[in-house]
Amino acid sequence: MLTLQSLSKHFGGVRAVDDISLTIKEGEIFGLIGPNGSGKSTTINLITGLYAPTTGTVTLDGYDLTAMAQHERTAMGVARTFQNIRLFGNLTVAQNLWVAQNGHEQRRAHFLPRWFKAGGEHGPDIEELLKFSRLHSKRDVQASALSFGEMRRLEMARALASNPRVLLLDEPAAGASQEDGQLLAERIRDVRDRGVTVLLIEHMMELVMGISDSIGVLNFGRKIAEGSPAEIQANQDVRAAYLGSKHKDEDLIHA
Amino acid sequence: MDYFFIIDFVQSLVDGLLFGTTYALIGIGFTLIFGVMRKLNLAYGAAALAGTYIGVAAFLAFDAPPPVVFLLSALGSGIIGIVVYYCCFRFTPTQVPMASLLASVGMLLFIDEAVVHASHGMPVPYPSVFRNAIIEIGDIWVRGDLLFVFGICVVAMGVLFWLLYRTPLGLATRAVSQQPRAAALCGIDPTRVNLLTFGISGVLGGIAGAMTAAAVGVLSPIIALGLTVKGLIAVVIGGLGSIPGAIIGGLLVGASENIFLLLRGVTERDIYVMLMLFLFLTLRPGGLFGSTAGRD
Repeated sequence: MLTLQSLSKHFGGVRAVDDISLTIKEGEIFGLIGPNGSGKSTTINLITGLYAPTTGTVTLDGYDLTAMAQHERTAMGVARTFQNIRLFGNLTVAQNLWVAQNGHEQRRAHFLPRWFKAGGEHGPDIEELLKFSRLHSKRDVQASALSFGEMRRLEMARALASNPRVLLLDEPAAGASQEDGQLLAERIRDVRDRGVTVLLIEHMMELVMGISDSIGVLNFGRKIAEGSPAEIQANQDVRAAYLGSKHKDEDLIHA
Repeated sequence: MDYFFIIDFVQSLVDGLLFGTTYALIGIGFTLIFGVMRKLNLAYGAAALAGTYIGVAAFLAFDAPPPVVFLLSALGSGIIGIVVYYCCFRFTPTQVPMASLLASVGMLLFIDEAVVHASHGMPVPYPSVFRNAIIEIGDIWVRGDLLFVFGICVVAMGVLFWLLYRTPLGLATRAVSQQPRAAALCGIDPTRVNLLTFGISGVLGGIAGAMTAAAVGVLSPIIALGLTVKGLIAVVIGGLGSIPGAIIGGLLVGASENIFLLLRGVTERDIYVMLMLFLFLTLRPGGLFGSTAGRD
């Protein structure tokens, strides 16, 4: 479904992403892991279009996204959350969702009056998304006034509001407790059950190993392994990569 | 302090506050563009001037009635604002803020020069309305033309607030100004929002230019400098990026310049306005309403 073909991104002499090929299948949860600086974030930024790749292509259902701008990729069905949350802080919870729900519709509007229409909602129902994210009671609260956990939930809801086919989650468990991690795992499964394919980038091994259908491992910008959680756990290269970094071995073993 | 001085003082204050709404409007224009792009458009005052000249051309050529002249000023300035966007901002690299800043300085000089050439640098009469109407409140006279200027500027601000807070367009604009990256990933085309912002702030600038000329009764190319500098002072005082700040800043600049005019005369007036700018820059560089944080 989402295919990265020989994707590379060089910053000067640094090969942040080096010849990565990955295929994420429709309806699966794909975990992308790797030590710090292994190229995970760059990969996400290449998929969403923040950077243009040095070489390679990104395709979604056979459509080549590589030359598209970020907002055009959203219209094609790519959505993401950010490791450091990026909400529209001065808008209310519902308005945050509304922007995502209608942003890509307005792109197609060729003349002003479309912009002035208050109604005409498209995509998933905002009220349903508010319930799904347990933010219904906060609907008219400014996003900046939410708790950290609520902000994370709103960010995911906002990503879903753009009606994506694939959702990229950039370290959604960062700053979350162990119990939160359990809830998060359920929520990610719920998202998948809505028919959205999930690409999960995460440091919390337990989470990735527990819910991913397949896992890809990056190290120094290269893909060093790909397979089921069990295969990844048994992989010697992966162990070496994690042992060689500041990540503890237990991360992998106890997962 | 004698009674007449107090009357003069209050009179200056009232006139200054009424006229200050034009500075507020210009300040809002600077702030809007800064809000969505985090860039200063120094050609803004010049574009407002050029728009005002488009309006006055219709007045001189066809004796167009004042409302048409004002409307043409606003539309002309809006269109020039969009041209400025394409020339100075659309294709300059976003990572190099200096590129668009200097491009806009070049544009300022270019537009200014073009206007001076077209008008031979001579002041031209500008239609003003309610020139002879005076409302007397005790010993204070409220000039009808200034009241009109004030009214138009307040209505323009009202329409802007409606746009920003009551329409999808405004929601998208505010989203882009708060989180440009997230807004793009919500499917909003940033180029489109930037373009509209330049157009809208251009219209506001044209209204400010037209009202400035209407308050004076003549139009000359030198008002470009006044619009640019006073508008910038208004946003520095109010806090770049804050619309309420621009309004307060504009009123403050208008009021204080009139009071300095009363106290120190026309030759020293601007010295004190600049001193005020200096004080704000050193003591409160963020302005009265601070700047928005948490954006990349």
